[in-house]
Amino acid sequence: MKFGIEFVDWARLGDSYIHPFGVYGGKMAGVPFHNYWLRQASQGIHTPLESYSLPIVASRQGKFTLPSEDHTSVLSTFGYAFQFDASLYAKYLRGFCEQRGVVRTDSKIVDVQLRGTDGWIESVKLENGASISGDLFIDCSGFRGLLIEQALKTGYDEWTKWLPCDRAAAVPCENSGPLTPYTRATAREAGWQWRIPLQHRTGNGYVYSSQFISDDEAGSKLLSRLDGKALADPRFLRFTAGRRRKTWNRNCVAIGLAGGFLEPLESTSIHLIQVAITTLIDYLPANMEFDERIVAGYNRWIEMEYDRVRDFLILHYHATERDDAPIWNYCRTMSIPDSLAHKMELFRERAKVVTYKDGLFLEPSWLAVYFGQRVMPRAYSPLADALPDAELASRLATVRTQIHEGVAGMPTHEEFLAQYCPAGMSGGKP
Amino acid sequence: MTAQVRRLVAVGGGSAVWIAALGLQRAFRHRQLEVTVVDTGPSRDAPPGHWTLPSQRGIHAMLGVREADLLRMGASFRLGTEHRGWNGAESRFLHVHGEIGTDIEKMPFYKYLQLAALSGREEKPEHYSVAAIAAGMARFARPKEGSALTASFTYGFHFEERPYAALLREIARVQGVRCIEGALAQVNRAADGNIEALQLVSGDRVEGDLFLDCSGRDAVLVNAVDAGEREDWTKWLPCDRQWSAIAAPQATPPPLTRTLAGNAGWLWWAPLAQSSMVGHVFSSAHISDDEALSQLRKVAPLQSEPVLTRLSQGKRRQPWVRNCIALGESATELEPLAGATLHLAQLGIGTLIELFPLDARSTVESVEYNRIMGEHADALRDFTLAHYLVNARSGAFWEATRREPAPARLAEKLDLYRANGRIVLLDNESFEEVDWAWLLLGSGCLPAVLEAQIHRLVEKVTPAEAAALHHRIVELAKSMPPHSQALRPHG
Repeated sequence: MKFGIEFVDWARLGDSYIHPFGVYGGKMAGVPFHNYWLRQASQGIHTPLESYSLPIVASRQGKFTLPSEDHTSVLSTFGYAFQFDASLYAKYLRGFCEQRGVVRTDSKIVDVQLRGTDGWIESVKLENGASISGDLFIDCSGFRGLLIEQALKTGYDEWTKWLPCDRAAAVPCENSGPLTPYTRATAREAGWQWRIPLQHRTGNGYVYSSQFISDDEAGSKLLSRLDGKALADPRFLRFTAGRRRKTWNRNCVAIGLAGGFLEPLESTSIHLIQVAITTLIDYLPANMEFDERIVAGYNRWIEMEYDRVRDFLILHYHATERDDAPIWNYCRTMSIPDSLAHKMELFRERAKVVTYKDGLFLEPSWLAVYFGQRVMPRAYSPLADALPDAELASRLATVRTQIHEGVAGMPTHEEFLAQYCPAGMSGGKP
Repeated sequence: MTAQVRRLVAVGGGSAVWIAALGLQRAFRHRQLEVTVVDTGPSRDAPPGHWTLPSQRGIHAMLGVREADLLRMGASFRLGTEHRGWNGAESRFLHVHGEIGTDIEKMPFYKYLQLAALSGREEKPEHYSVAAIAAGMARFARPKEGSALTASFTYGFHFEERPYAALLREIARVQGVRCIEGALAQVNRAADGNIEALQLVSGDRVEGDLFLDCSGRDAVLVNAVDAGEREDWTKWLPCDRQWSAIAAPQATPPPLTRTLAGNAGWLWWAPLAQSSMVGHVFSSAHISDDEALSQLRKVAPLQSEPVLTRLSQGKRRQPWVRNCIALGESATELEPLAGATLHLAQLGIGTLIELFPLDARSTVESVEYNRIMGEHADALRDFTLAHYLVNARSGAFWEATRREPAPARLAEKLDLYRANGRIVLLDNESFEEVDWAWLLLGSGCLPAVLEAQIHRLVEKVTPAEAAALHHRIVELAKSMPPHSQALRPHG
C-alpha cells in the first residue's frame, strides 16, 4: 500500500520529505492551514510540518490502514494508492478483460491502411496475415506511437529542456527491512532512483539523463545502491519527455506512452492513462461520429492535464540548492515555463498556492514539494493573524495530538497486509 | 525595507465603495487597517437599482447586512430571470438560480430534457425546478436543508441603489470606517509613480498606502496612474446605452427579473415591494435615444426621471496597477443581462482579501489578481454574450450580433456543446453547468447528439417518472407563501 512518496536529497543532500495523499491540518477560518504554521514559525515556535499530516506521520512509523468514512475523524483526512508489479498487474487486467469478452490477438502490426479520402485509419495489417478494421483505434503501442505517429505523423512537443532525463534502467531486488508504505525517489548524480517495495521483492530504477551519465555507469550505480541482492540484469529504456500534439487525431486516440511521456517521479503514468480513458468515455457521442469539435475538446482537456503535471514535475528539478553535479546546476538555473515561475514567485513571496479547478495536483501536493524543497515563503497570509496566539497554539496542538493518537492505533504496514491480503493468496478481500 | 499597508483609501459614490471598504475593514480589523472612504456622492447617470446574483447573500453575511433591513427599504427577492422574446416574439424562457430536476445516477437531470428534445418531445426545464414553478406562481420561500428539492435553489435580490448604499454606509460608519464626503480635485503621485494622496476640492488631503478605485466608468484613480489598456468587447456586445427609471409596481410581483428582447437591445422590469425598476439596454447605432425611451415607457408608467447611462463594454487588462486597484465597473463594464454588476465588484474584493499586499511596493499580488480577475471578467462576458449567440430572433441588431465570431473560449464551449451536449467549465467561472443548461435549453440550442454514456443512462428515465417529479415540485411550490407576503420585514 502507498501513503505517498518520500523524496530524498532533492533540495540538499541529506534532505527528506514525503509528498502525502492527504491534507496538512485543513482550513481554519477559511485560511489554508500552512499560513498558521508559518505564523507560528515566525514567532519562533517550530513544529515539523509533517506532524500535521496523518499519512506522513504513519509513513514514518511504517503504519497503514484504510481511511475512515466518518468525515469528522482524523482518519478520514487521507487517501492511499498501491505499489505493485506492473507486469503482474497487466497480466491481471488482461485476464479481467478477456473474461468480459475482450478479444486479444497476439501479433505484430506490419502495416496501417489509411482511407484515401481523409486519411483516417481503415485497418491494421498483422504479421500473421490478418487485417483488422475498425471505426476507432486506440494506440497503446507505447512511446513509438505505431498508429498516432508512425502512421498519422501527428507530431510531438518535447519538454527535454525542462525535464532532461531521457533514459531509465530498472532492476528488481530482494527485500530487506520493513516494508515501507511509500515509494522512495532519491535524487542522484544524473537523475533520480526509485524504490518501490512490494511484498515479494523491491522494484528499483534509475531515471537519468544521457547527457550527464553513460548507460553503463547508470546501470552500475543502480546495482550498487540496492537494498538487497539484484534479481535480474538491469533493463534499459529510452524516452523523451513531452506530449503528442494531438492525442486524438482523426479516428485514433493515443493513450499511455503513445500519447505522451512524463517520467514516473510522481507516479502519474497510470493516472494519465486513466484520465485519457475516462475523458474519452465522457466525450464519445452516442452516434459514434467523431466530430472535430469533440476531438478538439478532448485534446484541450488532455493537454491541460499533461501541462499541469509537467509544471509540477519541473518544480522538483528546479527547486534545488544542489551544486554537486552538472544536472543539478543545469536544472537549478534553467528557465522554466512562465506558468510555473509565477506559481513559485507567489508562493515564495506570500505562501499562496495557485489553485485550479481541474488537474491532478491540488494545494497539499504543491505545499509538500515547496516546503520539502526549501521554497520558503517570506510571508504568510495576513488573514492568518486574526486568531489569538493562545487559541492558535491550542488548535495546532490539537491537530498534532489527534494525528499522533490516530496513528498510534494503526497497525504496521506488514500487519495490515498480512490481515488484508497477503501476497500469494488468490482472492482476499475486495 | 518594506512599506506596510496600513491605510486603505477607497473612492466612489455607489454601493461598491461601501462593500469594498467594509469587506476589507472586517477582514483586516485585527491588523488595525485604517479604512477611509472618499464619498464622491451618487453619480447622476447611475441606474436606480440592482438585480443581483445569489452571491449577494454571501457578501451580506460577511458584512453584517441583515435581510430584514433590505426588506425594510423595499427590496424584493429574485429567484432568477424570465427572458421574453429572445427567440421570436412569443418566446419565453427562464434562468433561475436553482437545479433542474434531481440527478439521475449522478448525471444532471437536464440531460434527460436534452434527450427528450432530440426525440422531438419538447420538455421545458422550468417544469422540473422548484424555483421556476414558484416564481411562475409569484410565490417565494427561502431554501431549506432537508430534501434535495427544498434545498434545490438559491436567490438574490432586487433593490434600489441609494437606500442600499445608505444602509452600507451606516454599517461602515458603525464599524469604524472613516468617511469623507467631497469631490476629488487631484491625484498626487510619489516619485515612484504610486499614489501618495488624494487632494479633494474641499482642500482636504487624504493619504494612503493602497487605493481602491470604485468610481465606476470614470475610473478616476486608476486612469491617473495608468493609461489603462482596455480590451474592447463592443464588437460582441454592441449595446452602449441604458435608459432606466423607477416605475409603477407590478400587480403581482414575481420574484423574478423580466427581460424583453427589443429591436435594438433588451428591456428589463424588476419588482420592488412598493414600485418597480425598469431599464432599456440598447445599441445607439440601431436606435435613437428618444425611440429607446419611448419603448421603455411602454413597459410600465415611469415614476422617476429616466436616467441615460453610457456603457462601453470591455475590461481593463490590468485592474491593479501600482498601488491602485480598479474595482467593479471601473475595471469591467458589462451590460446587466446576467445580473452580475455588483457580483464583479465582490469578486474583486474577495480576491483582493486573499491577495492583500503586505507591502505596497510588492507586485506579485497584482499579477495574480489581474490574472484571476481577467478570467472572471471573461467568463461573465461569455455567459452574457451567449444569450445573443444562441437565440433565433430576427432583425438587423440581432443578426449582426450573431455574425461576429465569438471569443475563442466561448466558441470552444459552444462548439463542444453543440456536438455532444457537454458543458465544460474553465477556472473562475461564476455561472455553473446548470446555469448554462438553463440558457442553452431555454434558447432551444440543442446538441447534435448526447454523450454516449449519458444517453444510455437518461434513456431509461420514463416520462411517467419525470411527471411524478414535476408533480412533487408543483406541490412544494404551492406550499410557499406569495412573494408579496414574503416581502414584509419581520425584524
